[in-house]
Amino acid sequence: MSVDWKSQVKRLMARGADYADVRYYPKHEEDFKLMWNGNFLAFNRSEESGFGVRVLVGGAWGFAASSNMFSPEETFDRAFANASAASTKVKRPIRLADKDVLSGRFESPCAVDPFEVPMAEQIAMMRELDGYINQDGVMQRRVMLRTIRNTIQYYDSEGAEIEKHIVEIFPSIHVASFDEAGMMQGRKYLPPRRGETRGWETMDRDHWKEQADRIVAEMRQSVEAPKCPEGHMSVILMPDMMFLQVHETIGHALELDRILGYELSFAGGSFVRLDDFGALQYGSSKLNARADATLINSPGSFGFDDDGVAAQNRMLIENGILVGAITSRQMVTEANERAGRQIFDGSGGTCRACAFYRTPIERMTNINIDPGQDGTLEDIIRNTERGVILSGEKSWSIGSNREQFHFSTDIGWLVEDGERKGVVKNCAYSGMTLDFYRSLTAVGDESTWEVQYVDNCGKGAPGQIMHLGHGVPVCRFDHVKVGE
Amino acid sequence: MASHEIFSKLRTLREYALAQGARAHLEWKAEDSHLVRYANSTISLNTNEHLTILEVTVYGDHKSASTTLIVDENDLDTMKATIDKAIEMLAFATPLTYQPTLPSIEKTSVFEETYDPEVEALPNEDIIAFVNEATKGLETDDILLSGNFSSGVATYASISTETPEVVFSRKTDIGITLVLSSEKRKWEVNAEQFVSHKRDLDAKALHDRLSWLVELYTTLPEERLPEGPYRVVLGPAATAEYLSFLGWVGYSASTLKRGLSAFKEDDVGKKVLSEQFTLVEDPSMLATFPSPVDAFGRVREKRAIFDRGVLTGFLWSQQTADEFGGTATGHDVSNLSIALQGGDVDTALIQDFACLPRDRDILYVPYLHYANIVNPTEGLVTGVSRFGALYLKRDGTITLPYNVRFTERLDQLFGDKLVWLSKELIPYGSSSSYFGRDPSTTLVPALACFDGVTVEISNESF
Repeated sequence: MSVDWKSQVKRLMARGADYADVRYYPKHEEDFKLMWNGNFLAFNRSEESGFGVRVLVGGAWGFAASSNMFSPEETFDRAFANASAASTKVKRPIRLADKDVLSGRFESPCAVDPFEVPMAEQIAMMRELDGYINQDGVMQRRVMLRTIRNTIQYYDSEGAEIEKHIVEIFPSIHVASFDEAGMMQGRKYLPPRRGETRGWETMDRDHWKEQADRIVAEMRQSVEAPKCPEGHMSVILMPDMMFLQVHETIGHALELDRILGYELSFAGGSFVRLDDFGALQYGSSKLNARADATLINSPGSFGFDDDGVAAQNRMLIENGILVGAITSRQMVTEANERAGRQIFDGSGGTCRACAFYRTPIERMTNINIDPGQDGTLEDIIRNTERGVILSGEKSWSIGSNREQFHFSTDIGWLVEDGERKGVVKNCAYSGMTLDFYRSLTAVGDESTWEVQYVDNCGKGAPGQIMHLGHGVPVCRFDHVKVGE
Repeated sequence: MASHEIFSKLRTLREYALAQGARAHLEWKAEDSHLVRYANSTISLNTNEHLTILEVTVYGDHKSASTTLIVDENDLDTMKATIDKAIEMLAFATPLTYQPTLPSIEKTSVFEETYDPEVEALPNEDIIAFVNEATKGLETDDILLSGNFSSGVATYASISTETPEVVFSRKTDIGITLVLSSEKRKWEVNAEQFVSHKRDLDAKALHDRLSWLVELYTTLPEERLPEGPYRVVLGPAATAEYLSFLGWVGYSASTLKRGLSAFKEDDVGKKVLSEQFTLVEDPSMLATFPSPVDAFGRVREKRAIFDRGVLTGFLWSQQTADEFGGTATGHDVSNLSIALQGGDVDTALIQDFACLPRDRDILYVPYLHYANIVNPTEGLVTGVSRFGALYLKRDGTITLPYNVRFTERLDQLFGDKLVWLSKELIPYGSSSSYFGRDPSTTLVPALACFDGVTVEISNESF
């Protein structure tokens, strides 16, 4: 059924709305396959179709969404009524920052659309990956493949018309066994983004075989390894751990809606205050972080956000000083007003919703750490007196203001007097966010930099799961508390 | 959509599946959700979502494949196409090492005991008036209101090609979280409520808790607690959080068979937790938004999972039973109905507990934020306190502790460290998951006391 979306938006404006937009998803497709010890526990195709309407009335948001296409005007009216009701309790009327009104189309780069790859070929690939990890000593093995193809049409009352066509692929392999105490020791591989595209062509068999052999070997070493020593020491975070550290303690901490208190009822706030921008020493001078939605091969790049703002590449932390945040049109206006000064120059283009039935909020794009000048991994090890190299995120728990954290990892390697020593297991580390980043003493060069993907970032109420990326190098932090 | 219409559509789709020669299980889920969200003493968002979801699982010889569709509730053609898609996918499914069981529903069941049409029709005005009443006089220029008032209806129906019988449920729920926080000092306190019927809403209870906590937080001194062991009293949210992890690594046969369980088959029949710890799964407890009949049409019965500390057995889903050769225990439901039995302590409200004489310092923690399992086979869980912790000192005074992190083993926490439990049980839960409206609560003692809980990290400010 064809709906004249622009007319519906105009109708709400004629009723007195300050602003309105609609996102229509003609078809959102997602395949999820999970093979556990050779059995497909999930072999699923999902499809979604529907639309979401967001409207500002009297300085307040109303939203309504429906999968029912036969009476779309009811949903538009519901959104309007919700906004009208919300406008009865408004402390600071919402004003959206100016933007360039854009008409455009975005297609994520993809040489081979995974939804055009015959199912038999996908299954054969998964069985092949399962074969790679089906080795002696592996007691639990998992192969996962999630593929997504989504088209979004966006129209707003300011005249923007945008269509996005996004294809993603999220593969991974996992192995686990048990040590003599009966404790599980696992290892996994989620491939960093290689090349310029995001499609099936990224599934390189030789690369998978090499990585499968590596993680199985490392899992076997973990099973036999002693426990990680406890105490304060240097930690050298590999990119497959550093990405999560950045995600939880830079990314979420710098979402402007969290900073302004819009997520206090569930996800939490941020230790960052508006006074901190331009002043806070977030980390050592070696820390340079950015929100880069132009990194084309990563799921954190989407062309235009759900405010209709073009993707951008903005600094968040420059030489250790906090300079930016993850922002939307609504929040930058409010932040500047509340601060009494212009901190933010327009929206950073990060307002996204995970589905037609969820409202857009600030979400990470690609929150990256720039490569540094401290050489290769081996160079960093050589310059480390006592520490542990940590790899593979295993668990994460973060304070509600992102002020502190506790992470555990799949594996560690001790470093003593500049040399990598043996493997250690049950590694965990914890600390206070600012103390931790201020103890950043080495940032690896380009050779250590990898783009890791995140396909399960949760936030918001109602809850939303978002896809994004992190380009990160190997980093070393000193005097960190290590131990369970 | 009325139940008879859903029955009719499901039976039409069943006939279609049969006509294609398919053996299929069809699940219909619908939600009509309303969320009024507060932040910075403003209604920051007011949303409605009306969604219809069809899940199809098609079975073959040692095979299954599934499709999920969010679509217009009247679009039967697209629903039939998704059945076709599942049949098409089945051809590519590689053989399983086991034969998956297709549900065979013997008798139609309808459960609507937690459905209230007044909740489904709850207007904006009533919601806003309720929140105004629950927070009356508590907001200031510095103390701001955040929160969610989530209400709605979740409908579930399933049928299989084996029989024309249907398992149907319709549940309404209201989940309320109200947070008052200081913009300047950054402390935050909360009050929560989870009910199925409008008549059970209690604005006064929310207001009583919030006003008491705000009074303390605006008048008492704050402090950073030294790291080390404490006697800790947990509120319902924190206890429920620990129990949710126990549900994952404590008594799930799937977790056991996949090597992730903190308890092993050898532990069955043994006392592995405190004698005070009796955990039941009881689908007759309406406060948990139960499913008295599971997706396979099995009528569910109460059972103790831990009986005075003794692990009585693991809960087996049909899939786990098929794969590992066990017997399904009737727990193929989206949410279990779990209750931790109360103890012998009469006090239920922290407001009352704080007034009692005490012989030692006690740390009250109502809520754990972003807890996670560090090591499943060890049952090691870490999390940070949030929302109105109090340090109740032996001399009768109270201070306001900054948030602290605990990292505890579940077998120790609910074992030797468990000191006492309140008699009164409180439902604590949620209206939705990331995957849709699906109300559930766990019944937990209003207060639960533990000894020797170690503060691992102590914040230096709110």
